[in-house]
Amino acid sequence: MSLRPQPTQHEKVLGENDFIVSKTDLKGLITYGNRVFIDISGYSEQELLGAPHNILRHPDMPRSVFKLLWDTIQAKSEICAYVKNLAKDGSFYWVFANITPSFDSRGNLIGYYSVRRKPKPEAVQAVSGLYRAMLDAERRAGDGQAGMKASLAVLHQALEQKGMSYEEFVFGL
Amino acid sequence: MKNLSLGSRVHYLVALTLGLFLVFGYLVATGSGRVSTFGWALFAVTALLLGLTLYTVHRVLLAIKNLTKNLKAAADGNLDQRMTGIKKGAATGELAWALNDLLDQQEAYFREVFSAFDHASQGKTFRLAMDQGLHGAFKDAMTRVNVSVESLGQVQHMAIKERLIARITDLNSGNLIENLKSIQEYLMSMTQELGVVGQISKETAQEAEGSRTTIENLVANLNQVAEMIAQTNAQTTLLHEKGDEINQIVQVITDVADRTNLLALNAAIEAAHAGEIGKGFAVVAEEVRTLSENTKDAAASIAATIESFGEATSRMIKDSEQVKEIAEGSRNAVRDFRSQVLKFADSAKTSMVQVDKAQDFSFASLVKVDHFLFKQNGYRVLHQGPDSPEARAIRTDHRECRLGAWYYQGQGAEQYSHVPSFHRLETPHAGVHASIQEAVNLLGTSWDKDEALQNRIFSHFESAERASEEVVHILDQMLDERHREL
Repeated sequence: MSLRPQPTQHEKVLGENDFIVSKTDLKGLITYGNRVFIDISGYSEQELLGAPHNILRHPDMPRSVFKLLWDTIQAKSEICAYVKNLAKDGSFYWVFANITPSFDSRGNLIGYYSVRRKPKPEAVQAVSGLYRAMLDAERRAGDGQAGMKASLAVLHQALEQKGMSYEEFVFGL
Repeated sequence: MKNLSLGSRVHYLVALTLGLFLVFGYLVATGSGRVSTFGWALFAVTALLLGLTLYTVHRVLLAIKNLTKNLKAAADGNLDQRMTGIKKGAATGELAWALNDLLDQQEAYFREVFSAFDHASQGKTFRLAMDQGLHGAFKDAMTRVNVSVESLGQVQHMAIKERLIARITDLNSGNLIENLKSIQEYLMSMTQELGVVGQISKETAQEAEGSRTTIENLVANLNQVAEMIAQTNAQTTLLHEKGDEINQIVQVITDVADRTNLLALNAAIEAAHAGEIGKGFAVVAEEVRTLSENTKDAAASIAATIESFGEATSRMIKDSEQVKEIAEGSRNAVRDFRSQVLKFADSAKTSMVQVDKAQDFSFASLVKVDHFLFKQNGYRVLHQGPDSPEARAIRTDHRECRLGAWYYQGQGAEQYSHVPSFHRLETPHAGVHASIQEAVNLLGTSWDKDEALQNRIFSHFESAERASEEVVHILDQMLDERHREL
């Protein structure tokens, strides 16, 4: 994979009536992306197919959010998360991602299906504050497990304060 | 031809055209003998174009084959397939993307519906199906799906709430009946005890009446004795008067004797002077005779007096015998009175023990009812909420309640601490209070949405009921153990 794009302050906004659809295999390699995905990410279909989904990962995102995400879908459950993505040209776009596992006719897990919608601006505002705090905790604690743990602790503390589960929190925004 | 597939038909038609074209070319070549260079070039270009068309048709057919495969899979319910590697500007590109878009809409729709219902079935009704990005009929259908999800959520919320209420009501009513039965038994034994007390009181009253009669008889007897004594006094006075009379008579007899003595002396002197004068002596002799008659009269008086004295004496003896009899009667009356008083005292003691037992039974009933009410208050919080008076009522701990005060400082500690069951009461009693309090604390949380919390609440109520049963049982044992000593 080529070098990661340099992030800029330019924001792209997803259309009100659109959604990004993508599919990956069990390792997170892209197997399908719809035209909205191709347009907003700036990558061609050819570039996307077979590429790891994390080429879209923005450096402002805490790593622990992706850990939570992977842990959840690998347990065959649905996850929803606000995610800041990085386009090929360095611009960013916020999405409300919904990821569900895909099964074959015998019930075996064969991949993941993701639909990403335009998030509410107030939700983005609330989440960016939380993510910044999580990212700070992650950096202070250093790389690896310690950072991940510190970052998740910030999230759990915030949830505890609100008396909500993670799902209640994201759907309540 | 009828049985050939579309692809084969196109191939067949193109091959036929090519064949005809070649035949035509051959006819031209052989018919005029010569073909111009331009003619050959035209032929070559036509053949090339034809080949290209054949290739394009082949590719289109291949794409159509793929599209058909995906459509068939979609028709079979497999929405996972997509067209990928779509060449820009390809004739079938737009068609492939359109198919992908349709499948995206369908797959997103079904996954959303599934997720929303799946969450709702677990009570997570906040997870509504998202219609953003869906188009037309898919979007409209989603609005209706969400109405269903919301009402499903409400129904489930109610169902979960009702389930705990039903379970606890069931537990409660079952135990309520047991509790009432226990009170009933107590009231029955209390009635029996009070019946015994009533009987004893009746006997005591009868005996008291008997004692009263005895005392009245005794008083009457003693009055009679007093009267007798008064009569005896009168007799004694009479006797004294008679004694005076005897003294006077004795004085008379003494005078007569004196005078007789003097006369006898005079007679003796006269007799000395005149021996022949017998006449004088005859006068003296007459005087002496008179005196002796007087003496005889006096003696008769004394005899009469002594006789009346004897009469008085015999009356006195008779009276004194009556006094003796009366005294005997009084003594018997007093002895009876004493034994009745003793019996009375015994009855009073038995009566006291019975009253004591009755009091214990009534106290035990009272504290049982106290604890039934305590539990009832706990159950009521389920309906009335954690800020209700019922919730405040259950904050009393096991040292502050009536049973607690009795057990730790009051009569219980004084009168019962030596019986074997006494020390077994503390743990279950504290358990009733603690379990109800924990259940009520959990009723302050969002239990109506959480089945795990409901199970915890239920198990607290359950252990409160078990502890309460034990308290009732131990109270019964304690009473039994103490009453056997009485």
